[in-house]
Amino acid sequence: MDVNYTQNGKLQSVLAELEVERKKVLSANTQGYGAIILGIVLIVALAVMGLLVAGMVTGLAAIIFGGVILFRISDAATDYKNRFKMDVVGALLSNVDQSLTIQPDRGIVEGEFRQSQLFTTDPDRYSTEDLISGKIGNTSIYFAEVHAEYKTETQGKNGRQEHWHDILKGIVFVADFNKNFNGVTAIRPKDFGSSIGAWFAKNIYSFGDKNIVELENEAFNKNFVTYSTDQIEARYILTPALMDRLCELNQRAAYAISVSFVNSNMYIAFPLAKNYFEAPLFKSLLNADALNEDLSVLHFMYAIVQELDLNTRIWTKQ
Amino acid sequence: MIIVAIIAVLVLIFGIGIYNSLISKKNQVANAFSAIDVMVKKRFDLIPNLVEVVKQYTQYEGDTLTKITELRGKAMGNHVTEGDKLAIDQQLGAAVKGLMVSVENYPDLKANTNFLNLQSTWTESEEQIAAARRNYNASVTSYNNAVMMFPGNMFAGMLGYQPMQVLAATEEERKNISAKELFNN
Repeated sequence: MDVNYTQNGKLQSVLAELEVERKKVLSANTQGYGAIILGIVLIVALAVMGLLVAGMVTGLAAIIFGGVILFRISDAATDYKNRFKMDVVGALLSNVDQSLTIQPDRGIVEGEFRQSQLFTTDPDRYSTEDLISGKIGNTSIYFAEVHAEYKTETQGKNGRQEHWHDILKGIVFVADFNKNFNGVTAIRPKDFGSSIGAWFAKNIYSFGDKNIVELENEAFNKNFVTYSTDQIEARYILTPALMDRLCELNQRAAYAISVSFVNSNMYIAFPLAKNYFEAPLFKSLLNADALNEDLSVLHFMYAIVQELDLNTRIWTKQ
Repeated sequence: MIIVAIIAVLVLIFGIGIYNSLISKKNQVANAFSAIDVMVKKRFDLIPNLVEVVKQYTQYEGDTLTKITELRGKAMGNHVTEGDKLAIDQQLGAAVKGLMVSVENYPDLKANTNFLNLQSTWTESEEQIAAARRNYNASVTSYNNAVMMFPGNMFAGMLGYQPMQVLAATEEERKNISAKELFNN
């Protein structure tokens, strides 16, 4: 695995080529938006001076000029973004593992996201992109960026107001799990509500949620609440070793992860603070650290299979 | 008067809740135990096939195979207590583990698909039994907490419920089985 992408000659030539594109797009954007801003300033300034008609004529001309520049560069801008994903992220991927590929327009479909039961809230608005898939050893994996939100409404002075809240903004990682199972097991980060539910399940059995699994790993219970349709199966999946490994993974992740085991797959949701695998506009592609963040996310995802020991196929599932 | 009645009703509901909770925890322990039993039986059923396949390829493992067959026969007998059955299962597990290691000396057997299937089914059943045992222990711990802590202990005294023993953790429960260790590849 070649960690240092700066050594990769092919990637370097793609980056140099794209850097020219980036500068072109950036300068067109600067000119286009600059002209639009200038137009607005002209209209306001000349109107204040009492020259409204002159202001409208010159201002509108500047705005139209800016619009034309932006329109003419829009294809090149889209092309730049796509080529960055296909060629640059694609090259980073094959540096990490030959089998990994990216499909920028595809993702994890909403139906699968709902079925994964990673979260209890169903999304009202959903978008996904940058599907990366491959096979690491014996384990097929795929992951994509997902933004799932739900809506609440409040009655204010100005009528109904919509508020959007994140369910997940980050990456959903899916791996073919190495053991057979039939039920659904979900591991969610512990929050106030689930802690109360777990307390009831533990102390007042008849009022508690019977799907809660009380596991023997204290550190694991401190971070997560586990739900399952099958108590024994949940323990079959969550061996003491896997619980330890999930705790470690959770510590390495920026925010608390959620994990589920559904339809013979393992799903992990990683909330992230920013959108990855996007072409930079204001930063040079030739900077030594330009791709470091994307690359570290890729390495993080790639290492999961190893960390969770998913390549050990000693059970009947091959 | 009404307040007294309300308090009496609340106390009654609370009492029923605790009582039912104790009963259901005890039932759950029994349930969890029978789950181990099911898993152990499933594993015993693998033995005849395993012995047959190994027999075809090996000449020197006769003693181990006889021991394994005997142990299975003992476990399937009519007069075995549940506790004995678990103990036999442990011995059987150790014997088969030994057999799996000596299989290294028989390349033909190692390449046999039938044997490979049996081997992975065996590992799977091992982990399933470990999971069932952990489930049993979780149920027992939950039951013991209810029986020993206030206010459950009052009802437990009246019902004659005693705390139960958890099963000692086996090697498989403490660590994940590593393919390398098991098959020595």
